[in-house]
Amino acid sequence: MSSTRFDKFWEIYNSERLRRGLLYLVLIVMVFWILLPLWAAFVTAFKSQQDLQTTAPYQPSPSPTLEPLRATFEIMIRPLFNSLTFTIFATIFSCLIGSMAGFILSRIQFKGSETVFLLIIVGIFIPYQAVLVPLFLTMARLGLINNLLALVITHTAFGIPICTLLFRSFYEEIPESLINAAIVDGAGIWRIYRKIVLPLSTLPFIVATVFQFTNIWNDFLFGLILSSGINAQPASVALSNLKGSQVALWHYQMAGTLWYSLPSLLVYFFLGKYLMRGFMTGALKG
Amino acid sequence: MENTSTSVNIRNLSVDFGNTNAVKNIDLLIRRNELFVLVGPSGCGKSTTLNTIAGLIKPSHGEILLGEEVVTDIENGIFVRPQDRNLAMVFQDYAIYPHLTVYKNIAFPLETRKEDRHNIKQRVEDTAERLEIKSLLDRRPKQLSGGQRQRVALARAIVRQPKVFLMDEPLSNLDAKLRVNARAEIKKIHESINATIIYVTHDQIEAMSIGDRIGIMNKGILEQVGEPNEIYNHPVNTFVAGFIGDPPMNFFAGELVEEDSTLYFKIHDALFKLHHTFKSNKGDIIIGIRPENITILEEGIANSLQANITIMENIGKEYIIHLELPDSTIAIVTVIPEQAENLKIDQTIWLDLDGARAHIFDASNGLNLKDKMK
Repeated sequence: MSSTRFDKFWEIYNSERLRRGLLYLVLIVMVFWILLPLWAAFVTAFKSQQDLQTTAPYQPSPSPTLEPLRATFEIMIRPLFNSLTFTIFATIFSCLIGSMAGFILSRIQFKGSETVFLLIIVGIFIPYQAVLVPLFLTMARLGLINNLLALVITHTAFGIPICTLLFRSFYEEIPESLINAAIVDGAGIWRIYRKIVLPLSTLPFIVATVFQFTNIWNDFLFGLILSSGINAQPASVALSNLKGSQVALWHYQMAGTLWYSLPSLLVYFFLGKYLMRGFMTGALKG
Repeated sequence: MENTSTSVNIRNLSVDFGNTNAVKNIDLLIRRNELFVLVGPSGCGKSTTLNTIAGLIKPSHGEILLGEEVVTDIENGIFVRPQDRNLAMVFQDYAIYPHLTVYKNIAFPLETRKEDRHNIKQRVEDTAERLEIKSLLDRRPKQLSGGQRQRVALARAIVRQPKVFLMDEPLSNLDAKLRVNARAEIKKIHESINATIIYVTHDQIEAMSIGDRIGIMNKGILEQVGEPNEIYNHPVNTFVAGFIGDPPMNFFAGELVEEDSTLYFKIHDALFKLHHTFKSNKGDIIIGIRPENITILEEGIANSLQANITIMENIGKEYIIHLELPDSTIAIVTVIPEQAENLKIDQTIWLDLDGARAHIFDASNGLNLKDKMK
């Protein structure tokens, strides 16, 4: 068969350069697609009420102002502080408890250990909505409505299953001889956990922290029903209150969104590179 | 250094995993300060036995005594936790704590026992000096070679002054050359600290070269216990005979015959004179004879076995000749290079067996028939 147009097409298609070019083009389009809303939020946060009418959502303001950021900061500061408090505590508690449970369940065979593990894991599949009423009643009876402690407890409890699963699968890859060596060296279970297992757990702790932090930070439902006043109001609830009752205050909403996304972005910024490593590596090699 | 070592007495020990009997009714006395090697093919139960002594595995029944102290007695509900047995263990993968420096690794068992800080420093440094790793104390395991890690693992065991050292294939991860050195090293350490060491390996050469006494295990059963010479020269059955020795012993099916009050073994039509008395003097037997006790003849003589050369391996100091007999029995013979020069593959040769060095086994159960009295 002589050289046809089709062959030529194949030749170009097969050339490494073109394939790479196409790949990058697709990726760049995807990056734009994903970042566009963030861009819109960013430019809108610097617009005045007037700019909202005169510019398109993706168009930067001709005369940027800090007023929306300043105004929403005053409204959001307390809820942001609330959110930060219960998110940090609940993240720490759920990671620590998950790590301990994961260690025990991966290393110690006791009667019913498989069942205990399964029962803990079931927690992952319980939707928030299913427990709203009993949760509210329980917290009300404990007198913890409008109290950050209620959110710490709830989010810790909901975080334990996924953390246990994550830590257990990580700990199963720690060589058995390492644990046995520590046992023979005279260490009890608590000492092995503290001196050997915990120091080797940096990666799963980072993965679990990022996961738990963003998850708890983004929660709206529990925050909404467990708080009614400003004392324990999470930032997610405060943000939704910014939407205005008569007109859509887009610039305030977007400015509030920027404040709201800041902690999550910072967590990703500092821990992101470890996160990829944590997802990819099985455990400790070498 | 005070000597804290004890004997290990194992009585009627069995370990079951579900329906598998990993260790079956073992009785074994390991003497104080001896280097005892447990050897056997993989899955024979040797590591399980070691872990049971350590207390990492709870046996199904039996007793273990360290000196006079009962640490395991299943029938009477005694089971001392591994961390309370004061044993030291060296693992095949060294099991060095990857996040701790060499110093911290060696100090770990002492810190766990809440020893005095100054005392710990002294002992870690002494031990490091003995093993020539003092310059590595600040390093992390990642920065060490395989041989250095192995020394750290040994140091962590020695620093303890334990009752017994348990070593689970400690040299298997080293390359061949390093292994020979490390073998000598362990023997040297054993002599200098004078401790009880139980050493597990699958390598029979390692076992022969290192052990004061050897225990050979197969399928959960302790087949034979004895000094290396005794095991090499008087294997109790075909398994031990075939396991110890490299290249392995040859086995031929044959029968014992008595003519004119002289005992012969007969393979096909060839008769070979025997020089011992046996528990039985006729019937079907298995003749075991080591490669170095067979002579290759290029011309057939009376009472020799015809065979064909299939493979010739040159390992320098000698040739390993693989042979096939007409009944397709496989045999291996070693010859010196000078003789090998006249041999080639597919050549037909004849074998003369040294009856004085033959082992005679019962064909039905593989037991050595040699009369121990003689």
